[in-house]
Order: sequence, then structure tokens, then C-alpha cells
Amino acid sequence: MNKLELGPYLTRLVIITIISIAVVAAVNEGAYLLQKEKTDRLPQTIQLVIPAGTAERVAAGEETPSIPEKMIFVTSDVLLVKNEDSSAHQLGPIWVPAGASGKLELAEPNKYSYSCSFTSARYFGLDVRQPTTLGTRLTALGIAVPPTVVFLFIYGSLVFPIKPKGKPAGGAVA
Amino acid sequence: MKSPFLYLGVVGIVVFFGLLFVRSAVQPASFSGSQIDPPVPAADFTLTDQNGEAFRLSDHRGKPALVFFGYTNCPDVCPITLANYKNIRGEMGDQVNLIFITVDPERDTQEQIRQHLGKFDAAIIGLTGTRAELEPVWKDYGVFQSSHGGGGVEHYDVDHSSRVYAIDAEGNWRLTFLIETDWQSIVKDLRQIMN
Repeated sequence: MNKLELGPYLTRLVIITIISIAVVAAVNEGAYLLQKEKTDRLPQTIQLVIPAGTAERVAAGEETPSIPEKMIFVTSDVLLVKNEDSSAHQLGPIWVPAGASGKLELAEPNKYSYSCSFTSARYFGLDVRQPTTLGTRLTALGIAVPPTVVFLFIYGSLVFPIKPKGKPAGGAVA
Repeated sequence: MKSPFLYLGVVGIVVFFGLLFVRSAVQPASFSGSQIDPPVPAADFTLTDQNGEAFRLSDHRGKPALVFFGYTNCPDVCPITLANYKNIRGEMGDQVNLIFITVDPERDTQEQIRQHLGKFDAAIIGLTGTRAELEPVWKDYGVFQSSHGGGGVEHYDVDHSSRVYAIDAEGNWRLTFLIETDWQSIVKDLRQIMN
């Protein structure tokens, strides 16, 4: 009985894995470059400053300068609210005493509508999106490569079977 | 003889997937609550507890405290928060002071607060005072409260903010939590600030 030699199979597996990584990476990066958006970036700390006198301006119905009512973030961004006013302020989950700073990591992608004490609309919209970063692209690569390897290995084994050493092609022995 | 190319390829693949695994497993510590960073000294106050004793916040440094503003006739957020307090105490014991401050001083007498908190955990510190004593505390902690509705003096509800404030052992404001935050996350955050 012939002993099964694993060497050629392992060599083929390694070669197919390398080819799979290259092919999947090329497809991944191609799709990424075609569909890249401004929110495809690494998480950052984004600072909002509440200027002195904001509470009085909001109470009087006046606009608050330099504070937008809606912003777009990516997951793991840290929203830092610096309160330079003489009153405590809140933005949804963030509460900031007078003269202090409050921060919150935006962990989950979602659209949030928060009550807000420092905009004249008393509302602040947070649009938190999942960015496509190097990490997510590598994760996609990790997910896609194993099934590609399995598919190519089985396909290759059927179309180009590995012949045992010393056995002539065709199997005929004189 | 095995090809060195084979070994190199196997090592490369193992390293690649190993790095992917490590990257997903190692996450930086983060808080569930919103942080006050850098921490600032929490506004001090003196009120009266459910046993008629004066309670001054700054006299109870040395362990963290949670502070919540509510009222004993509250139908929704206050019982939820007090149930969370009970669970937190079950997990952390005396390592944390759990403080309840009324937003309804007219109805929340010492006796009323003692009876109400006894349904949850008698170790919860319930504080009341006159409206004049409480208003500066509400202001310092940014607490909104407004009575409405009702068919008489005794029948009304109080709209109020439901934030829970975490104060560290040195008396600094460190974190705030919304009502949606589960008690396990609060315990985890408290342990982080204790460490």
C-alpha cells in the first residue's frame, strides 16, 4: 500500500493561500478605492467649545456661534465638549459642569437625536457611521481568504490532481 | 528535503492570522458613562438624610459615590434607578455611597423617604431639605425639575432629569450615566475609577 505524501499537498495549499490573499486583497482595495467616503478615516477626538455667555444667548433665543446642530462622526470617535460658559451644559449623555470638559466615546453606529442645552434649537443630531479603515479591510481579508483557499484547493485538486511520485502519467506500466 | 519556501509560507500565514486575532482581542479600556475629564471637584452640599441627620457630601470622601435626583412618587425612572442601586450594592457592598436626593421636597419627608428606600435597600442615603436648601444643589448639578398635572396638592408628577453622577473617592465629578445604562456597566466604570 502506498504511503500518502503530504508534501505536495502542503506546498499547493501554501501557494493557493498566498494567491488567495493577493486576489482578495486586490478586490478589497479596488472596491475600497471606488467607494471611499469622507468618513472612512481613523477615529479622532472632535472638540466642541461652548463659549462664555451661551446660556444667556440660548435663553434669549439667539443663535449660538460656531456650534452646528448636526455632525457626522465615525465609531470610536471621542466627542469632547469644552464648557467655557458659567453654567453647566448637557448634550444628551454628556454633562459638563461650568469651566470643565466632558467626553464620550461614540461606540455604536446610529443616528442620535439628543436634547442639548447649548444650541438655540435645543437639539443636537449625531450621525455615527462605521468607517472602513485598514482594520476593517484586514478583517474582511481574514474572513474572505479561508473560503477562497478551500474553494481553489478543491477546484485545483479536481482539475489538476497531484500525481503520486514515481507513478508515470497515465498509470500504464510495461 | 522540504522546501524553505513551504516553511516561510506557513509561518507567514500563521503570523498574518495571529495579528488579526490579536488586533480584535486587544481593545483599549473605555467607560460606558460620559466622562468629566479632567475631573473637577463636585459641588458640595449639606442636606438632611432619612434619619434626620445632617449629611455633608465632603464628609464622605474615601469611597466613590453615586448621586441621583428623583422623588418617591415617581412612577418610572426613579424605581428603575433605585433597583439599579440595589444591584450595585449587592455587587459592591459598602465600597460605594448610594445617594438619592429629592426633587419633590413638599411630599418627600424624611419618613416618606425612609419608607420608600426601605423597599429597595435601607443603606441608600436619602436626602431632603427645604426647597431653598435644595435649589442651589439642583442648580449645581444641572438638574431640571418641574411639577405638572394633578387634581390637588397631593396629586401631581414631577418632570426631572434622570442622570446619575459618579463622584470619586477624592470628591471629584468623574462620570455621568443616563437611565439606560445598565447597573453592570456602572459597576465596571466605578471599579475603573477606583483603580
